[in-house]
Amino acid sequence: MSPVWLASWAAVRKRKVQTTVIGLVVCAAGATLVMALGLLVAADAPFDRAFASQRGAHLTVAFDAREVEGADLTGGAESAGPFRQATLDTSGEETYLGTLTVVGRADPGGAVDRIPVTLGRWAERPGEIVLGVQPGARGEPGFEIAVPGGGTLTVVGFARSVTGSADAWVTPEQIDALRPTAVQMLYRFDRAGTAAEVAAGQAAVTAGLPDGAVLGSLSHLTVRDKVTSELGVFVPFLLIFGVLGLVVAVLTVANVVSSAVVAGLRQIGVLKAIGYTPDQVMAVHLVMVSVPAVAGSVLGAVIGNLFAKPVVQDAVEGFGVDALSFPAWVNVAAVAGLPLLVALAALVPALRARALPAARVIGAGTAAHTGRASRLQRRLAGTGLPRPFALGAGLPLARPGRSALTLASVVLGVMTVTLATGLALSVMAYDQAVRPSHADRLELMAGPPSGEPAFVPPGEQVPTPRLSDAGDEAALRSVPGVTAFLASARLEAELAGGAQKATITFHRGDTGELGPRVLTGHRPGRPGQVAVPSRFLNQRGLSVGDTVTVSARGGRTQLEIVGVVLTNNADEVFADWSALAALAPGARADSYQVRMAPGTDRDAVVAAVREADPGLRALPPRDSSSSTAVIIISSAVVLSLVLGAVAALGVFNTVVLNARERRRDLGLLKSIGMTPRQVTLLLVTSMGGLGVLGGLIGVPLGLAVHRVVVPAMTAAGQADVLDILLDVYQAPALALLALSGLVIAVLGAVVPARGAARLSIATVLHNE
Amino acid sequence: MRNGDAVVELTDVRKEYSDSVALDGVSLTVLPGEAVAVMGPSGSGKSTLLNMIAGLDRPTSGSVVVQGTDLGTLGETGLALFRRRGIGMIFQFFNLLDDLSALDNVALAAQLTGTRAAQARARALELFGELGIAGRRDVYPARLSGGERQRVAVARALMNRPALLLADEPTGALDSRSGEQVMDLLLDLNQIGQTLLLVTHDERLATRCATRVIEVVDGRIAREQSLERTP
Ligand SMILES: Nc1ncnc2c1ncn2[C@@H]1O[C@H](COP(=O)(O)OP(=O)(O)O)[C@@H](O)[C@H]1O
Ligand SMILES: [Mg+2]
Repeated sequence: MSPVWLASWAAVRKRKVQTTVIGLVVCAAGATLVMALGLLVAADAPFDRAFASQRGAHLTVAFDAREVEGADLTGGAESAGPFRQATLDTSGEETYLGTLTVVGRADPGGAVDRIPVTLGRWAERPGEIVLGVQPGARGEPGFEIAVPGGGTLTVVGFARSVTGSADAWVTPEQIDALRPTAVQMLYRFDRAGTAAEVAAGQAAVTAGLPDGAVLGSLSHLTVRDKVTSELGVFVPFLLIFGVLGLVVAVLTVANVVSSAVVAGLRQIGVLKAIGYTPDQVMAVHLVMVSVPAVAGSVLGAVIGNLFAKPVVQDAVEGFGVDALSFPAWVNVAAVAGLPLLVALAALVPALRARALPAARVIGAGTAAHTGRASRLQRRLAGTGLPRPFALGAGLPLARPGRSALTLASVVLGVMTVTLATGLALSVMAYDQAVRPSHADRLELMAGPPSGEPAFVPPGEQVPTPRLSDAGDEAALRSVPGVTAFLASARLEAELAGGAQKATITFHRGDTGELGPRVLTGHRPGRPGQVAVPSRFLNQRGLSVGDTVTVSARGGRTQLEIVGVVLTNNADEVFADWSALAALAPGARADSYQVRMAPGTDRDAVVAAVREADPGLRALPPRDSSSSTAVIIISSAVVLSLVLGAVAALGVFNTVVLNARERRRDLGLLKSIGMTPRQVTLLLVTSMGGLGVLGGLIGVPLGLAVHRVVVPAMTAAGQADVLDILLDVYQAPALALLALSGLVIAVLGAVVPARGAARLSIATVLHNE
Repeated sequence: MRNGDAVVELTDVRKEYSDSVALDGVSLTVLPGEAVAVMGPSGSGKSTLLNMIAGLDRPTSGSVVVQGTDLGTLGETGLALFRRRGIGMIFQFFNLLDDLSALDNVALAAQLTGTRAAQARARALELFGELGIAGRRDVYPARLSGGERQRVAVARALMNRPALLLADEPTGALDSRSGEQVMDLLLDLNQIGQTLLLVTHDERLATRCATRVIEVVDGRIAREQSLERTP
């Protein structure tokens, strides 16, 4: 072993506490960093990655089968198809899946739009069908779907095309039985980064075809925008936590490392006296902290990977990205970057050690560690406070630089906790607003649900009411305990100007009480009016007062946007019952909602409803948390725990160093009769003040960051900023958050303080 | 006057600190085999004098030549290399490295000069035997008695067979029995030819093992006296 390594290794081995603290801090920082970076990278472009790995279609075109009979549709571009395409209407069937676009395709692979099968297998024989999965959809393959006009299809698997090129796939032989009317072509172009390039590509591949040959087309950019808005919500959130984690790590490492060098001054003099060159002395101090830093960063990277992967997986799963591999540079950056950062933080004090005149450090014989006892400290000691409090409160003043670094890490810890709490509250407020659980409400199904295809589990009955719509309303209103009633009917509609679907929900009854909250404008009151969520407006560039053209069930009508409502589904709009007649004459409500008076027994109401109309089906109470909310809340909790722990480790290190420097004083205090408990109290108190101060500074900073992050998240999600999302902090919560600084400080201080208090006086004095 | 054989040759050395003058024109020659005791009141500049000779600090003016090398011509690294081979130092408060065992503290000195670890340990063990601390080789400094620590420090100082051994109040922190043992050790070393420069407060010890006594007062050499050693 070289002399440098020998001295460094001895320091590493014997100063176990410092080494462990450095290792732990770097490990925690590394885990946070890997997690933040990993999540950032994942949030960056999961769609792009999925698109690339699945060779997604830049353009999906549906041609009219009769118009393109025998024509070459490849247009010189890289393509897949032609695949015959049919519409399968499953409404009215037992297993209700809505209207499915079904494509006859022998092979899920190929040059364009490779479709990963997520469960089960691809359709190999006639009579088999593979369903596209919606995020969050449940179910096992194996059930059957009835085909209108006879026959059934067995679901053999689930799959998902990255651009959603179809809702379901069957074999080319099977598609004929479904009477295909269209032909699907999937294209990849050399240039497809902009809408203009995609349009040019479309012009090229459709050149020479008769007018009306193209029934509809879908650009990958349209799909991408929509997906990005779903995941974009995570980006500001992760970004801020990543940055916070990095800053906390840097601060703590700087604190730990520079103090470690400062604490070893006498050793520096000795090394120089026996012949270490200045460069060797510097090297000893760099190596000494690099050993735990390297170990910590490797461990941190491993932990970060273990924790981050499931979160990333959760976040992107819905978009058909199944096996996500972490880019190597994230780990390389952490494993190489953190020790480098540690070495950088150590460099300044190490250079100081290098330049230190040896005679001064060893000349004094004993290590001089007077520190600076300020006037304030003496004054504190003179107050009527109990002795340990008075002495401890002044301790940080002796080391202003170290105390400032410690304070900064507490502030950042409190800031993180405050921000995380606020974000969790905001997410819950949003969820509660758009997807209220409403324990006092009862929802009843009165017909097949429409809108987004949804699975009715095999074996469950589609509700078929016995009474008429009006009869049900009268019956429900007369159930004891029911105080308000709302009927809804949903209709799938096409919005003109693109292959975009929307669900129109028609409301009847006590809309003011049970309908969605109106944020601006007013509730639609007559035919021709519609209220929409803000995301609907933002995604389509519309505003209140504009008119949209919708077609449904062959009818076509114009609706004026008269209000904005608070709901999350960007594709659901609301109209008055009176408007239903124009689009779907004779339609009845497919669901009812009633509000029960406080204290009403839910089961009794359900029983009464069943008595009145056994065909209605009561839904279980709603679970209000979305998966996005669960991910955000749980990662906020994990991240604030990690960063809070890092902050506490900063305090831990400071107390270790303070106690080490003051061990002679502490020994003296004990020799004159201070109990170990009082010594512990003294050291904990010394950090308690910093903790309180850190809380008072950190909370407002956290509030300020919350005010920036929430609007960024809602903007990314194409929603609007609402007061209910910003004003989430209540006074008691703020008081508790301010206390978190104290908690961090006390938790960090108590272990080393007890250690120092238990050190025997004899040992201390003997070693001096 | 320059003596080609001199181990140490100080010429008109002056050392000023920001608020005081520690050495005020000191000239001193130490010849091979001499045992020079430096005495004087506290704060008179004795340690400063030793630090100048060890190259741990630089004079404000004047020249320090040790074994024919003018220390003023050496950089920090050069001084470190010079100390490794040319100088052994002993301090009042031992200044052992707390993180290394007694044996490693000693072996380290030889490893610094490029000696292989095994060889360095062998030589260290030899010294431990000679100094009567062989049984304490694996003990850490914190668990050694003061006398044992100082003997480890002596072993470390002797590892590279330095031309000059500097000792700054080597008995100052020891009880009288351990102090005498260390003094005997230094006397023995000098008698087999080790050149020695020793700072001490204790006149009896000084007269017992020094061939020459120098008294420093306020940074100047106030008195110089050659002795017949009293055995
Ligand atoms: N590093 C230093 N900085 C400032 N003054 C110093 C330093 N080292 C020594 N002195 C001063 O120089 C004088 C001589 O000190 P020193 O050589 O340690 O005396 P001695 O060893 O004889 O007790 C004293 O006044 C002391 O205060
Ligand atoms: Mg002295």
